[in-house]
Amino acid sequence: MRRIGFVVNPVAGMGGRVGLKGTDGVADEARAQGAEPVAGPRATVFAAAFLGVAKGDPSLRVEWLTCGGPMGYESLRAAGVPEAAVEVVYTPGKQTTASDTLHGVEAMVGRGAELLLFCGGDGTARDVAGATRDRVPILGIPAGVKMHSGVFAVSPIAAANLLIAYVRGQLRIAPGEVLDLDEEAYRKGEWRIRLFMTANTLAEPHLVQAGKMMVAEVTEDAIRTELAMHFSELFEESPETLFLLGPGSTIHGIASALRLEKTLLGIDAVLAGKTIERDLNEKRILAILDRHRDAKLVLSPVGAQGFILGRGNLQASPDVIRRIGTKNVIVVATPAKLETTPVLRVDTGDPSLDAEFSAKEYLFVVIGYRTSKLHPIQPV
Amino acid sequence: MSKRDPTSWMRAEYEALVAQSLDWKLRVLQGPSAPRSVVDGKTVIMLCSNNYLNLSNHPKVKRAAREAVKTHGAGSGSVRPIAGNMDIHEELERRIARFKRREAALFYMSGFAGNAGLISQLAGEGDAILTDELNHGSIIDGVRLTKAQRVIYRHCDVGDLERALKEVDGWAKKILVISDGVFSMDGDIAPVDGIANLSEDFGAMVYIDDAHGEGVLGDGGRGVASHFHVEDKITIELGTFSKALGVVGGYVVGSNDLRNYALNKSRTWLLSGSHPPAVTAACIAAIDVLETEPRHVKKLWSNTKYFKNRLVSLGFDIGRSETPITPVMLGDSATAKRFSQRLFEEGVFALPIVYPMVAKDRARIRNIVNAGLRREDLDEALAAYEKIGKELHVIS
Repeated sequence: MRRIGFVVNPVAGMGGRVGLKGTDGVADEARAQGAEPVAGPRATVFAAAFLGVAKGDPSLRVEWLTCGGPMGYESLRAAGVPEAAVEVVYTPGKQTTASDTLHGVEAMVGRGAELLLFCGGDGTARDVAGATRDRVPILGIPAGVKMHSGVFAVSPIAAANLLIAYVRGQLRIAPGEVLDLDEEAYRKGEWRIRLFMTANTLAEPHLVQAGKMMVAEVTEDAIRTELAMHFSELFEESPETLFLLGPGSTIHGIASALRLEKTLLGIDAVLAGKTIERDLNEKRILAILDRHRDAKLVLSPVGAQGFILGRGNLQASPDVIRRIGTKNVIVVATPAKLETTPVLRVDTGDPSLDAEFSAKEYLFVVIGYRTSKLHPIQPV
Repeated sequence: MSKRDPTSWMRAEYEALVAQSLDWKLRVLQGPSAPRSVVDGKTVIMLCSNNYLNLSNHPKVKRAAREAVKTHGAGSGSVRPIAGNMDIHEELERRIARFKRREAALFYMSGFAGNAGLISQLAGEGDAILTDELNHGSIIDGVRLTKAQRVIYRHCDVGDLERALKEVDGWAKKILVISDGVFSMDGDIAPVDGIANLSEDFGAMVYIDDAHGEGVLGDGGRGVASHFHVEDKITIELGTFSKALGVVGGYVVGSNDLRNYALNKSRTWLLSGSHPPAVTAACIAAIDVLETEPRHVKKLWSNTKYFKNRLVSLGFDIGRSETPITPVMLGDSATAKRFSQRLFEEGVFALPIVYPMVAKDRARIRNIVNAGLRREDLDEALAAYEKIGKELHVIS
């Protein structure tokens, strides 16, 4: 019987919807603002997808080594994994912390787990990789606010498919990069990304996220000025339209060139060429949309991973997108960035909304002054 | 306060280019551009000129230039709209139109002047321009002068072009589709038939820059539209006399409406002095040669086939070329530069094409086969390729 370690960081991703850009050390604040658990349900989606295939295939029977309560056990059971296939190797305290992850992972490796699956974000990846110390490969089920690391599957379903392929012996083990931001600096709007370590992960080129590639910014200056000109005209031509500018260095660069106030990592609202509100959370976006029906959302894909929604901009929730309308989403990228982004992806957490995007098959991406290019968009 | 230095920035920018090895180092041709030319004092086999048919050395073409100086002088005296429109300019345009089997032609100072001057007048606010991602810089500059929305479609990808046409169909007043006929870096041919048919379906104008197809492709060297039998579907075809036709000057062909519009609107045409008589008469003679001596185009293709087959059998990768433009793919820039330098030492002149002209891992030597090369010239060049290829471990 194959033994698979499985750990869930129950607070991962909770900071996103309420605009906190991370949950390290601020889980309570996130809860107080009404954040709901993200990781548990995504872990259940993963487990159910795996179970759906494994049920009809005896070679895919695995024994789950996991942590008690919301750190794994509950998600597996909710997906219908039988009690007999689950062994709880560690029971966390009431308020789970990073140290619970460390202890849990250590126990799983000690009990003979050959692969460690975790559900969370970059912070969780760091904790898990720090605990396994490359004794076993790790694979992330994406549920955090940020997932820059190259150890994540692109979605819970993709993680299930990877696990299936792994058990069937179809994948190889290769090192992936574990990156994270300094969340303290991140919340202040400072982009300080760091490579913390590498960790062995499952290698399958199409499904594992490549670590966020930092496209060389120096040579991109001219392009950004051009993009700024494009948006400046757009703002001028539509003074009644509300523009919600998404996070990331591309849009931040455009805003700076226009001398617009813009947070690096937040969503900001621009009307008639002026920033009217900064660093909006989901609630405030919805409130401002009540006043401005005609709105456009400007997004830029996240590095090589190609996510335009669902990574680092969870404030742009399914409700927000539906209110704005998928046809009013403007995707912008510098040509160099687009070149390293083979496909665009969305992962809003709302399958029907994701389907609405992927049904388009191609989206226009603005790559220069009045210049765009069709780029494929695929479901995750 | 010290006064600002008005020009020190030039040296600074130049030095930055030199530091990155991105500056052009000019070679000096001593004498004519010929199959064997003297370059920087050394006689070399010429494999990088655009003089495909060697018409720059054709006796009829040279004689026509000399005669025109006698009859019309050294210069034209003015721009065409004022006092510089000579009978030979008009004759040349009639000859171009006849050769290209189109209603009318307009002669520009260069292909670049044609693209920059005409494209900029073909679309504006509310229009859409759909342009191949690898189109020539002169097209890009022409497009940049317009206020139209621009959509870059994937290289030679008719499917992507169709998706883009569908997207812009809803709002665009005019649609202009632009493609090179032959792409100068890889030597591949645009799917001009597919482009023309699709554009027809959407009521779009089709603009083909056939600088590298004229004198090379199609019936008697009539170009890419002739190659695909879609002459009547190409709204604007741009060509040049500076490549296979061996002289200089650009032209567009199409309908009388196109000519009338272009000559009243293209600023590069209206505001440039017209071509000197020698050039104009040489261009007429070059068309004469193409119409009466089909052997040059045939020789170009037999040379091309021989050279390419031998390169491939030696183990070289010649990319996706379908024309006399024959890249030898070498990967990194350093290898390509070293290869070119060694070729020159061995008596072969072929320049490397490196980043940023092509992607970092797609550096190459670009060879352009010439009809004037004899079999022994090609064999000598191929022997050099084999020797250096082994020396640099490109082939085994």
